[in-house]
Amino acid sequence: MRSVSFNANIGPRALALTLLTVTAPAAHSADWIQLPQWEVDVDVRLVSSDGQKSFVNGGLGTLRFDRTQSGLRLGRARLALSEALGEVWSLRLDASAWGDDDRNPVDLTEAYLQLRPYPFAGFRFRLKAGAFYAPISLENRAAGWESPYTLSYSAINTWLGEELRTIGVEGQLDWLGTHTGHGFDLALVGGLFGWNDPAGTVIATRGFSLSDRQTTLFGRVGSSDSGPLKPIELFHEIDGRPGYYAGVEGRYFDRVVIRALHYDNRADPDAFDSAIHSSAWPTHFNSVGLRAESASGWTAIVQWLDGQTYAEPHSEDYRWPFRARFAMVSRQIRNHRLSVRYDSFTVDSESDDGDGYGAQHGHAWTAAYVFEPGTQWKVTVEWLRVTSDAPSRAIELGTRSAATENQVQLAVRFALGPLAR
Amino acid sequence: MFQTRCIIGAVATLAGLLKAAGALAATLVVTVQASDGQPLAGAVLTVRAVGGTGHPAPPVNAIMDQVDRAFVPDLLVISPGSTVEFPNSDSVSHQIYSFSPAKKFQLPLYRGKRYPPVRFDQVGFVTLGCNIHDSMLAYVLVTDAPYFGRTDSKGSWSVDVPRGTYKVTVWHPRMRENADLGREVPIGDTERTAVALRLAKPLQPAPLEGRHSWDAY
Repeated sequence: MRSVSFNANIGPRALALTLLTVTAPAAHSADWIQLPQWEVDVDVRLVSSDGQKSFVNGGLGTLRFDRTQSGLRLGRARLALSEALGEVWSLRLDASAWGDDDRNPVDLTEAYLQLRPYPFAGFRFRLKAGAFYAPISLENRAAGWESPYTLSYSAINTWLGEELRTIGVEGQLDWLGTHTGHGFDLALVGGLFGWNDPAGTVIATRGFSLSDRQTTLFGRVGSSDSGPLKPIELFHEIDGRPGYYAGVEGRYFDRVVIRALHYDNRADPDAFDSAIHSSAWPTHFNSVGLRAESASGWTAIVQWLDGQTYAEPHSEDYRWPFRARFAMVSRQIRNHRLSVRYDSFTVDSESDDGDGYGAQHGHAWTAAYVFEPGTQWKVTVEWLRVTSDAPSRAIELGTRSAATENQVQLAVRFALGPLAR
Repeated sequence: MFQTRCIIGAVATLAGLLKAAGALAATLVVTVQASDGQPLAGAVLTVRAVGGTGHPAPPVNAIMDQVDRAFVPDLLVISPGSTVEFPNSDSVSHQIYSFSPAKKFQLPLYRGKRYPPVRFDQVGFVTLGCNIHDSMLAYVLVTDAPYFGRTDSKGSWSVDVPRGTYKVTVWHPRMRENADLGREVPIGDTERTAVALRLAKPLQPAPLEGRHSWDAY
């Protein structure tokens, strides 16, 4: 196994880097060493959008592709690697190119070591260390943290993909009731992380959006300096204080999943990192979700999120309470799937000067049709309409604060490799 | 399915020997219905002589393969002393485990590598899982009953047995009844004795199809 190195040009993220330089024993030392299992996906889009300048380009639009980006686009090119390190350890890397002007043309979204000891007496323990997604979304269940239902994620999960990543450790203890004659499983999960002190910056400046553009570990949100939003750096440790999350999960067979989680990055608002011109943003939230599936192909998902982010520039007090929810219904008939989702989201702005900067109120409708003729090909057509009102547009751009944005995408995705299923 | 046929074939051979010895008298036909009255395919039936000392069926060598991230078949019924081989026909690795008291074991199945068969000596239910793919679930039922088999698509199964009184017991991986569901059946002079069993409670939901690639998060 070769040693993989990565030239990061920003802040110290020792844990993630350590994972990238793992060197496995020589191949002949044990018969379980094999080449990594892999997957390559290429997702190409035909886009039509009337959206405002996208947040990807520093704008205040809520769509990934704005009106200047209609046409042929790269949705995502992805390489995933999974390598067993002995019987109970494994290493997973997920790298993507998004076809925009992010710092690195190819960058990681996840990189972690996982410990999976065999279950014992009905219990199972799992440990992850590295950079990965916390178990919150009930929508992003497919490889690469993608949604099998729509191209664009809900407002809640778009935000999680943009601003949050666990860079630390997570432990999960499962009680496997379905293996012991019961109808349900239960799990407790807890995470301890650093390098997520700026989380909350995006929601307090642009607000919620709906897209599938996940922030990469060494990348940033917004890739242009033309503004009005400056590129936002998210995965940094500023105050030296770890954050945490704790959650529970219940499953009724494979039909119903319920998740609840509390997250707090425990940031110190007095801490400031001059290299990225950002203070630490104390952000905490609660999240609850339910997914139910039937044998006849119906799926229903509801998720709810309620939290607050906070900043204290120049000893002034700025608070942005935020909440979002969505409901999705999906029906699968053979290899065709039709999904409809309604999103509602609000960011309040409670600042000393009261200009409403960062406030946002909106809702969105998403409808998607997915056709999977085999395990390698996937064709998706998605229509998305976001209606939102954000005073920041009037403050920053001098335009109306209200906007309705529409985006239609035709996506063709091709997947290759033993993990692509 | 092939293994089930083998097992049924072995039972039929045993029955043929008994018939030749003049001890055999009748065919027992068992039909099983779910609680809604529909025929229940794949139900496991065991038949024991009441008060008798019937010997377990002879041990077999069975196979449970891994295909498309699922156990194939997902249920084996075997007698004590039987062995089961777990090949891996997938291009990905599997790690099979059981923490059931009747047989605890762990077996990493790396791609293309075969492992020696696992021997099941103790009577009982063994639940199998894969430590990598959570949705994989299978069962091995080890029984010392002299006669056993599974119902066909019409919910029916038959066996030739000597005259006597028998306890017929039904089990299905998705049935909610905890206690053995069975009935005592006297087999007298008639050539054919029919028994109908019906579950009292609805079955547990069947595993959803096409979800196994979605358990990444």
